Amino acid sequence: MNKGKVADRLYIVLRILCIVSLVALFIPAINPARISGLISKTSSVFTCGTSYGALTRNFVRAFSKGWVGTLTMQMVFGGSICIIIGFAATAAGGCMSLGSNKLKKLGLIPSAIGAIVAVIGCFMINWAANDIQGTPNPDRVEPMKPGAITVFMIISIALLVLSVAIFFLLPKVEKGEKCHIETKYQLFLLFLPFLALCIVFSYLPLLGWRYAFFDYKSGQDLSLENFAGFKWFAFLFQNPATRADLVRVLRNTLAMSGLGLATSWCSMAFAIFLCEIKNLRFRRIVQTFTTIPNFISWVLVYAVAFAIFSTDGFVSSLLVNAGVLSTGTNFLMDNSHMWIKMLLWGMWKGLGWNAIIYIAAISGIDQQLYEAASIDGAGRFQKMWNITVPSLIPTFMVLLLMAIAGILNNGMDQYLVFETPYNTDTITVLDLYVYKLGINSGQISLSTVIGMFKSVISVILLFGANKISKLIRGESII
Amino acid sequence: MAMTKQEKLDKKAEALYEKKHKRRYKRTAGDVTFDILNHAFFLIFTIMCIFPFYYIFINTISDNDLVRKGAINFIPRGIHLGNYASMMNVGDVGTALFVTVARTVLGTVLMVLASAFVGYLVTKQEMWGRKIWYRCLIVTMYFNAGLIPWYLNMSMLGLTNSFWAYVIPGIVAPYNIILVKTYIESIPGELEESAMIDGASYMTIFRKLIWPLSKPILATIAIFGAVGNWNSFTDSLILMPDAPALHTLQHKLYTYLNAATNLKSVMNSGSGSVTGAAAANVLNAKTIKYTISMVTVLPILMVYPFMQRYFEKGIMLGAVKG
Repeated sequence: MNKGKVADRLYIVLRILCIVSLVALFIPAINPARISGLISKTSSVFTCGTSYGALTRNFVRAFSKGWVGTLTMQMVFGGSICIIIGFAATAAGGCMSLGSNKLKKLGLIPSAIGAIVAVIGCFMINWAANDIQGTPNPDRVEPMKPGAITVFMIISIALLVLSVAIFFLLPKVEKGEKCHIETKYQLFLLFLPFLALCIVFSYLPLLGWRYAFFDYKSGQDLSLENFAGFKWFAFLFQNPATRADLVRVLRNTLAMSGLGLATSWCSMAFAIFLCEIKNLRFRRIVQTFTTIPNFISWVLVYAVAFAIFSTDGFVSSLLVNAGVLSTGTNFLMDNSHMWIKMLLWGMWKGLGWNAIIYIAAISGIDQQLYEAASIDGAGRFQKMWNITVPSLIPTFMVLLLMAIAGILNNGMDQYLVFETPYNTDTITVLDLYVYKLGINSGQISLSTVIGMFKSVISVILLFGANKISKLIRGESII
Repeated sequence: MAMTKQEKLDKKAEALYEKKHKRRYKRTAGDVTFDILNHAFFLIFTIMCIFPFYYIFINTISDNDLVRKGAINFIPRGIHLGNYASMMNVGDVGTALFVTVARTVLGTVLMVLASAFVGYLVTKQEMWGRKIWYRCLIVTMYFNAGLIPWYLNMSMLGLTNSFWAYVIPGIVAPYNIILVKTYIESIPGELEESAMIDGASYMTIFRKLIWPLSKPILATIAIFGAVGNWNSFTDSLILMPDAPALHTLQHKLYTYLNAATNLKSVMNSGSGSVTGAAAANVLNAKTIKYTISMVTVLPILMVYPFMQRYFEKGIMLGAVKG
């Protein structure tokens, strides 16, 4: 094997190590900087190195009592920064390795320097970890020596060795050689930061699914001791209380989504009838004002509901002034017909907006069809029913399929704002239930299991709807 | 509102059409009844959509004592703007307003820049692994890990109780990227080719050619992004439990609407700053709620009529697949 091939192989290892090291920066479970129990369990090296305030949040007492020296924590902070900067520099070098020979050689310099800086960072944290062992109050400070320091040290040293080795394996830079990256890699490198953001915020959360298999309480470690296997999956179906909850919640979810589906033709009718109005100015005004509610948040919808229907709201004060009621009534506290009310609020918010797509479709219909129909003696309603409606059906089908695919995704905003202690039984939908269970009650594992089911079923529904669309219309919807 | 040229033309055509039409057949009694009912329906629905905002508005500018008694229903009386001035001193509404404006501006600008750039990059066939990476982006629209894993991930990244939680996750918006990509693909390729031949780099082409040409679509996604940011409520609710200073206006409004009991204390702190005003115009629980609602909804009400065509363009573009 010649030198070039060996260097290429080593480069693959180096790049993989770069990615691993960058990911490791964000994982709290292998945080080398966690040298004391006072540092939050959910903090990673990245959080330790970016905010000194967050790092030392729980140390106020320890500092003032002299249990821990400020220098120790500053060393931890500095060490974390060194590791972050070091790994970032190595990664930058790794990116440069996609270029020409000269660029590769140049890129190895930040790689090597970065690795050295990271090693220094590890030593700083190691020093702090040794220093904190001598604390006068070990019960409170809980000094610990995270094994992750060794891991980080090994990664850093490996990066250093690889960088140096490749540097000597690469052929010498010839005179007049230019720095250059192939177009395809250039474009990829420009795209890379955004891909990274996408991975961090959309793919990294998938790691959280592991909590479904543990007895997890906020702030605990995941270890073999609290590994629960499929306990929570079984719990969901075996525990009578949870099962009853789930049945109730699913009934609400499906009922409200079902009502939404059953009335989805309303926006089509809205569009058709609106287009029957020949006064363009009036039509414009209607269209403008009826679409506004779509752009206000559910909290504001609730504010509107509050202004109109609460104890001293519009309806109440009108009725009191007219002598129908003696005192104001809070209609929002009335918990009957919750499903219908939610549907009506949804329609108030969305009807005008949902009609726009149909209005556009109507204006795309060939006018000659209508003229021909008129000559044949078709009346207004006949034209609407036999020309307009059939032309809108394809659009309607696509939207209907999308709505079926999203049958479990009602969102939680609407139901959260309208929820009261009296109507919680009929208003809690799946999303809201997961929120209350996980965030408010701290049942992380159980709510993760429910969330997993929901995600998987939603995807299956979506692909199913897509398949149906392909079969019927020969076109996919995603 | 001044009519645009297009609208004027439309109207002319409409009038002409009407003239021709009338000659052809007479409207029957059924037609007339239908027209009346149809107009009536849309009139009522329009009033239902707009009246609540009017009602809230007149209650914020009317005499506070009359408002408390429920006497202001259709016509404002005792007009004053003191509520808006004193609102800024109540609780931390001023801070919430600042946070909301900051996140809206910053979030929207970064999202638009990123969407434009990424949308341009993914149209480049030459990119290494273009298809795979593009699919990686798009799949995230249809699939997510769920609320709790998302929350745990955010706290792992140190984004709980931090302003950046409002901005950074929204930078890469797959749906907007699709819209921009589709738009850029509709720009004639010859333009770019000739720029390439003249020796322009990708960055130059993006800055000098793609960016100016795709301004219409960028305006559309900007306006949608801004409304989304302004209305965003759940992230503030879930991610900022220990940082009340970072709560958005929507979150504040939600808190105030639900705070029947502790409004008293807020009122006292608020009225302290308006001692000079007439006693009748001291804020009460009702006017506080209405005024925050109005502050929260006003930007949308004011911007919407002027931006309507961008909004409508947005939904039509949504019908185009990526």
